Amino acid sequence: MNSNILIAGVCTPLFGAFLLVLLGKINQKLRNACSLAFVGVSLCCAVAALVSLLNGNVLAAGPWEFPLGLTFGFRADALAVFMALTACVVSMIIIIYSYGYIKEYPNQNEYYMMVTLFIGAMTGLVYSTNLIMIYIFWEISSLCCWRLIGFYREEMMIRRADKAFVVTVLGALVMLIGFMGVYGEYGTFDLNVLSGRSIPSWCVWCILCGILSKSATFPLHSWLPDAGVAPSPVTSLLHAAVLVKIGVFAYVRLFVKCFEVDEIFTTAVPVIAAVSALVSAGAALKANDIKRVVAYSTISQLAFILLGLSCGNEVGTVGGLLYILAHSVAKGGLFLCCGIVEHAVHTKDMSKISGMIKTMPKTAVAFILCALSVMGIPPFSGFFAKYLVIEAIVQTGQLWIAAVFIVGAVMTVMYLVRLFVKVFLGKPSFPKAKEGSPVMVASVLLLGVLALVLGFVIAAPTQLAMEVI
Amino acid sequence: MNAVFELLSTGHNLLLFTVGLPVIFAFAVWAAGKKDILRTAVTAVAGIVNLIFGCALYFAKAEIADTVKMTGFGLDIDILTDEFSALFIFLTAAAFSVIGIYCSAWLNSKKYAGLFMFYLFISLAMINGAFMCDSLGAMLFFWEGLLCTLFGMLLINNRENYKSAVKALTLSGIADLLMMLGIIITAYIGGSSNMSGLSGLEVKGAGIAGFACLMLGALGKSGCMPFHSWIPEAAGSAPAAFMAAFPGALEKLLGIYLGVRVMTQIYSVESGSAASIAVMTLGAVTLVCAVAMALIQKDMKKLLSYHAVSQVGYMVLGLGSALPVGIAGALFHMLNNVIYKSALFMIAGFMEKKLGTTDLRSFSGLFKKMPVTAVCFTVCGFSIAGVPGFNGFFSKELIFDAALESHCKLNYLFYALALVGAFMTAVSFLKMGRGAFSGKEQLPEKVKTADEKGLLLKLPIIVMSALCVVFGIFNSVAVDGWFACATGAEEKLGGWPHSALLVIISVCVLLLALADHIYGCKKTGKPINAADHIHYAPVLKQIYSAAEKGRFDPYNWINGIAQGFSFVCVKIEQGVSFVYDRAIPGIVKKTGDMLHRSDNGSLSRYLAGVLLGVAVAAVILLSKVL
Repeated sequence: MNSNILIAGVCTPLFGAFLLVLLGKINQKLRNACSLAFVGVSLCCAVAALVSLLNGNVLAAGPWEFPLGLTFGFRADALAVFMALTACVVSMIIIIYSYGYIKEYPNQNEYYMMVTLFIGAMTGLVYSTNLIMIYIFWEISSLCCWRLIGFYREEMMIRRADKAFVVTVLGALVMLIGFMGVYGEYGTFDLNVLSGRSIPSWCVWCILCGILSKSATFPLHSWLPDAGVAPSPVTSLLHAAVLVKIGVFAYVRLFVKCFEVDEIFTTAVPVIAAVSALVSAGAALKANDIKRVVAYSTISQLAFILLGLSCGNEVGTVGGLLYILAHSVAKGGLFLCCGIVEHAVHTKDMSKISGMIKTMPKTAVAFILCALSVMGIPPFSGFFAKYLVIEAIVQTGQLWIAAVFIVGAVMTVMYLVRLFVKVFLGKPSFPKAKEGSPVMVASVLLLGVLALVLGFVIAAPTQLAMEVI
Repeated sequence: MNAVFELLSTGHNLLLFTVGLPVIFAFAVWAAGKKDILRTAVTAVAGIVNLIFGCALYFAKAEIADTVKMTGFGLDIDILTDEFSALFIFLTAAAFSVIGIYCSAWLNSKKYAGLFMFYLFISLAMINGAFMCDSLGAMLFFWEGLLCTLFGMLLINNRENYKSAVKALTLSGIADLLMMLGIIITAYIGGSSNMSGLSGLEVKGAGIAGFACLMLGALGKSGCMPFHSWIPEAAGSAPAAFMAAFPGALEKLLGIYLGVRVMTQIYSVESGSAASIAVMTLGAVTLVCAVAMALIQKDMKKLLSYHAVSQVGYMVLGLGSALPVGIAGALFHMLNNVIYKSALFMIAGFMEKKLGTTDLRSFSGLFKKMPVTAVCFTVCGFSIAGVPGFNGFFSKELIFDAALESHCKLNYLFYALALVGAFMTAVSFLKMGRGAFSGKEQLPEKVKTADEKGLLLKLPIIVMSALCVVFGIFNSVAVDGWFACATGAEEKLGGWPHSALLVIISVCVLLLALADHIYGCKKTGKPINAADHIHYAPVLKQIYSAAEKGRFDPYNWINGIAQGFSFVCVKIEQGVSFVYDRAIPGIVKKTGDMLHRSDNGSLSRYLAGVLLGVAVAAVILLSKVL
């Protein structure tokens, strides 16, 4: 029974995705509902795993033995459950939002298939207990990302989708070399066996390459701002809420929970993160494309997450995980709000947009709620995450890195305020623009309120994050 | 009171009643919205209830401790109401009960009244929370949460004129983030994030960063330089009710509270030490620069807003001296400032309601039309100028004393700067008071008549003005009673100033200001232009011109630096994009083309390629063997 829950949680969206194409040919509403239902199954399984975990039982499926020492399996430990819950909740809201956003575009069957497949790959990845399985799910997610970024099929968009695909896949291939190095050292890909083992630094660098490319960290970040050409629910799902979190999840899974790595990485990774945080924040302050600003912001905030996770102390890990949660919700909301604005005014150039608060007040409220959370202002959930991450780096004694991240946090305030002010305040430039469809507005408001409410009930996710360590 | 204290000390009641209840009241006033009587009634009841809690907490002279679990790692809400924090809760409650009624009355018939009052009550909840927290991290939670209400209040009715809201959010946000860093560093070096667990940390090594960030955050909240410039900006667009409540009162209480905690409890700062001199310098610069700007203003609210900054300079100067007399002076000046500054902003708001403007050039000679307002203004003006007998005189004298007694070589300079500040304060208030209330009666163009009707608006002003006199007479109640727990002074500091010489010098400064005002009036013919000879004096004219263009505004500097940095980042970003979009595809394409061209069927080429490959392999193998 236990193993079936996890298998259902992974396989339902993973294989159900292909069914959606057929369903779409019969009835579009049925297809949409099934897409949501498949992800809902994953969410229910994650909730079941959480309940089991709180009762002291860790759900597991497998291991299934294969030749050459390959053992595959799923395991729903605290980290996996934390990530699965975060990904599924945000994904479901994004799918609901898609009902309103995508309805007028072609290729909807492929859209829903790829989104659902992606979520299946994500859940498979978080439950995996084997490096090769992680790699396989990782690449499935890249494939979905590629198709979804090029959704509009225009030449420039396809080129950018190709770029995202090439960067993340090449990064993953380098990571695979690192995995091979680990296999060469210990003769297994099984994380349970590898737990607590020390791995060579070159393997760490190779794996980091994959992680940084997926989590869009400088200098492997360039694909993310370009991927803003995708539909807004795609950018929200892939580039804010879920896909980019795969990299940081892998960091926790491999370097916090599993391998012993050299002490140098507790300085090297924060330094990389610091550069990434500053450069992307600086770029966000100049960008005029609203989705590009939010994309740069994602790169900058991912650096905060990486900072927390790489500090090598408890507070950093908890802070990093809370950051993943807070950022997924808030940044997902920001991208969706941008989508509503773009949908209404048919431009992403903020120099042409102003005063939208008059015509779309609900979107403006949702936007500011999400933005305040990303800025790290209390009582929003982002505050706790930001505080803990900075506390973590100070505890390592590297005060100058903490100072750099404070500068990054200041710039976060500046570029998000600039974005809000330019788009929503001032004289209305599109007085006839209307709010998005009710389902879209409800989705963004839900995410905004969630960002706020999470701040008040932060003790609950913290407890789960504590279980991780 | 004992029963109330018992109630508060049970379970999580303290948090529920002092934070939760204002939140409930916030929703109630929001719901009341434009129903003016209901909204004001709710505000009055809420103010009284909050005041009862404040009194119970302070006068019980006992501590309440509680903990609410959040994330751990210094962010749990650890509550400990000692005498000092209870005093501030009491003072805030007292100020709020008066200002709240004024705000509600001022907002009568305004569309946004409910929302504004909602923000105000949420702010009260946050401020109460901040005072009660023993844990610095949790205090930051409440403290920084004020940014949301600040932004909201400044944005109300100003969606097309949002500059001050953006400025406030940015500057206060920076100050709060610095404070976050300060808290974390302090907790790191002190081994605890609870104030009760931190004592006498040395200001050296990492402690310098911790102390500096904490003080900048704390004093930034109270409006001290360099995070002050949103206040004058807000004066132009924000409702007067906001100015009375926030820059006038509540933010001062919060900032000085933490400043005193940092200087006297968390860190060990000796008088004359580098830390002490740095804080005193910050105070002196703030008080002189801000009052110099106040001097040339022709709008009541803007003039008062610069004074709101300048008066913080006095508090910081006293605080920085790290002497009991200075701490007492800073705290007493904070209390006095809350009283007269909020009253002055309330007067400005009242006049704005009646005249439709606060531009001093558009009205004059209103004493006959508004005698009560004029008297109240005079009392508050005398207080802020430090006229002997009024409350401001006593707190300023304590600060002058502290500046002189501080154990640093710059003590005379600090004292001189404080006197310069006092001179300019007196000059600017003479200008404003005489400009508005004396001379030939003149009303703004579109206003036919003016009156003083509006009891709910006048009553808070009268109460505050009366308190200026009361705290002048009974200053020792506050100085030797209330604030003794923070100053640790063994001798009595209240009563008439100890040094007759300092009093004589202060009086001379006031007389000099009067003489300057008379000279200015004679020269220009109008009290409102009485400071023009200073404004347009050689050198000063250029400095003022630069200041009015925002050249000295730290916000503009920060923006400039950020833009410069962004430019560099964009260039880096373009470089990275070039590598991905042009360089790598170009190299791949050129390599492909080259290989394609070399694949022409020539056997000699293939052989050469094989030989080259063998040679490379041989080199690698040889290098391994050797």
